[in-house]
Amino acid sequence: MLTEVMEKQSTKDNIMRGLKKAMAEYSIAALTKKDGKVLFDYIDDTDKIELEYTPTVLSPKKFFFPQEEVILEYTLEGRVNTKIDYTKTVLFGVRPCDITGIQILDEAFSESNGDPNYLTKRENSIIIGIDCNSICDENAFCYKVASQNPKGGFDIMLHNLGNDFAMSIVTAKGEQFADQYFEMGKVDSEALNTFRIEKMKVFEEAGGPFEDLEKLPEIFSENQFHPIWDTEAERCLSCGSCIMVCPTCYCFDVIDELALSMKIGDRLRRWDACMLRSFAEVSGGENFREEVKNRVKHRINRKFNFLMTKHGRSVCVGCGRCVRSCLADISPVTIVEALTATSKEMHLEEKNNDLYLPEKAYIRKIETFTENEKFFELELENGKSLGHQPGQFILLSIFGIGEAAISVSSPPSFGNRFDIVVRAVGDVTNKLHTLTTGDFVFIRGPFGHGFDNNILNKMKNKHILFIAGGIGYVPLRSLINLTLKKTNAYKKISILYGCKTPEDRMFKDELQYISTLGGNVELLETVDNGDDKWLKNTGVITTLIPMVDFNPEDTIAVICGPPIMYKFVIKTLADHGVTNNNIYVSLERRMKCGVGKCGHCQIDNIYVCQDGPVFRFSDIEDKEEAL
Amino acid sequence: MSKPKVAFFDFTSCEGCQLSILNLEAELLELLEIIDIVEFREAMSEKSGSFDIAVIEGSFSRDSDLKRLKKIRETAGVVIALGACAHIGGINALRNSQNREDLMKKVYPDNPFLYETNEKALPISAAIKVDAFIPGCPVDVKEFVRVVKNLVLGKDPGLPTYPVCVECKLNENICVYELGKTCLGPVVRAGCNAVCTSSGGVCIGCRGLIPNPNINSQKDIMQKYGLDMERIIDSVNLFMTEDVRGK
Repeated sequence: MLTEVMEKQSTKDNIMRGLKKAMAEYSIAALTKKDGKVLFDYIDDTDKIELEYTPTVLSPKKFFFPQEEVILEYTLEGRVNTKIDYTKTVLFGVRPCDITGIQILDEAFSESNGDPNYLTKRENSIIIGIDCNSICDENAFCYKVASQNPKGGFDIMLHNLGNDFAMSIVTAKGEQFADQYFEMGKVDSEALNTFRIEKMKVFEEAGGPFEDLEKLPEIFSENQFHPIWDTEAERCLSCGSCIMVCPTCYCFDVIDELALSMKIGDRLRRWDACMLRSFAEVSGGENFREEVKNRVKHRINRKFNFLMTKHGRSVCVGCGRCVRSCLADISPVTIVEALTATSKEMHLEEKNNDLYLPEKAYIRKIETFTENEKFFELELENGKSLGHQPGQFILLSIFGIGEAAISVSSPPSFGNRFDIVVRAVGDVTNKLHTLTTGDFVFIRGPFGHGFDNNILNKMKNKHILFIAGGIGYVPLRSLINLTLKKTNAYKKISILYGCKTPEDRMFKDELQYISTLGGNVELLETVDNGDDKWLKNTGVITTLIPMVDFNPEDTIAVICGPPIMYKFVIKTLADHGVTNNNIYVSLERRMKCGVGKCGHCQIDNIYVCQDGPVFRFSDIEDKEEAL
Repeated sequence: MSKPKVAFFDFTSCEGCQLSILNLEAELLELLEIIDIVEFREAMSEKSGSFDIAVIEGSFSRDSDLKRLKKIRETAGVVIALGACAHIGGINALRNSQNREDLMKKVYPDNPFLYETNEKALPISAAIKVDAFIPGCPVDVKEFVRVVKNLVLGKDPGLPTYPVCVECKLNENICVYELGKTCLGPVVRAGCNAVCTSSGGVCIGCRGLIPNPNINSQKDIMQKYGLDMERIIDSVNLFMTEDVRGK
């Protein structure tokens, strides 16, 4: 490494000319198109380089640690030679996540026993990166594991300034190469600075790193028996795809292959995968990692726990390849977030002192919906986002009056504002209705189990049937609006809404908007008593169900409404073939503490405030008190 | 080391696997350096009552097969099932869910009872003990050579126990699910170098299931990608009817 990063600049044409010249001495590997797919491969002309990035199936680690390589050549008479295949290579256009991956592999293959095959290939390579200034797709999460600004694993990094590339040269090898092949001028520091600021903004806006990123090894260690390991393993196919595509997996199998002559042979190494059943199986059939769950656990722990401690950073670089390749939708992000949330809860309970302490929130907006119901937009004074899941609730306090459980009505967001809709029925809610914009309240939460990632994953590509009665639309709106943000993730979205009269409807403007959406979104409304202006259906909510064209096998129903509604709706759904495991209900109960202690919300062995308020109906159908 | 004597036999099949082996050409000559082929109906007229390794293509579908199979088993030290028909029943087993009489009338309308056939076409392991199998329709000849070589060396046949997805990823294929197709690759044994998915097709399962496949998840995935239950069962049944699944 150079003691100081050397900054230069060159035109793109110049860089290409330089690479062309370098072909006399080096093989050039770059992002290129072949048989309709984009991949890193050796090229014979710089015209074939793709500068725009499309995520590739395999990472460029294959140039240093190929899918299969010979490590020994031998004869049966007992002669043996080591074998190291390499060509002097310029690897061009590697992106930051993959460079971070190479940096990790450099460390892994160097420590204690330096691996000759890997290190020889690395010594004979020049790595020229191209910096990112956008996030490649919804599966990439480099920013969550802070891999977008690698410090090593490359020789030269190019930053796109339009016609020019600014260049950060970080190694003596890179400096020598650049001097020999590139015509370079002085860097336009201002333009480079603008590039960097823009980049920082993009990655910050995407959400920034995992909460407690540095503490992940600790969090993983204390969550080895977390239920998420079971739920993810249940879906896992053990197909090994996640490992094959990972830029930092480096386990291999060693195989002897004798030529048909039966006289000479090779010993080769081939990528292996700890997700495959045979990985830890010894002769005789004993398997030391027989259970899928243990394999899933091992794979993810290697990235965020075992090896993270060793490398001092997350060994997952967030490239998103495993997420893209997993047909069962298993993602490290879901697992990390679930474990982090549990650890937080665990530590909260240890501390205990924040348990009942509410935080101040200001009323930013009020709208009167009906005679008894008002909409409030709240903002936390500490500037943080509420961080809720759809279906969760808060406890709202007005000092001197008391605390009341209220559902959050807005979809999850990074912003620090959220919506509630409150009916004036009790002391706290009556008082709240008298407050005005700018007044403050106190809140605790979010609490309970809402529509978590596990449920949201189950909903993907399904027909979602929302069934809301009266003010029951309010808690469902969080999930409804979330699904409406990405309608193509679902087969169809049907919103069934019933009220007593047209006047009782919540979010009238939004309903009007939803009714114009079309596509795979439909809104069906009914009222018990219409008026002259009411042109839609009249009758109870169950009369809407036969109007929806749905296949019960791929439908998920989500219900919220007054207690009386559930039994009738669930019966009608059952008549149409919807099974209880495809029905989610959001239950209302009296709640005081919100944290599974006070006992008010308990149904048999479950606390609605902790285990609910969102339940899969099949999980509670045998509980007499549930509905 | 004296060269083991190898004999090839065929039962209910298209004999395409044996033909693939004959297509080896150059390698076949090398193979003959380590084995003696003493019987191979497609390639030679000689027959031999004595052999060390029996390579059997085709499914067990007639009572009269049983006697012949038992005789082969008694003679051979090692029995290898060659190809999908011998390994898992193959395409022949598609008829297993249908009524034999109806089927005979449909296929041979003029003389439905002339041909002998059992109710079901089964893998040869249903009749005799099989020591090794070479999956596929047809077999991958490189794998055939490798298995024979390993057996001659006294090693395990060395078939992969992982699914086709591994080889598909190694070949850097775009997943066919992303292209709007459905594929059995996640639960089917690799070893074919993902030949179908690498050349524009999908995996239809000719090599049989991997040990411990997650069938439930595979079903959910196919459903999520738009196949109804009936079509999922059809696609799985092509090579793996209920009688042979998991064998």
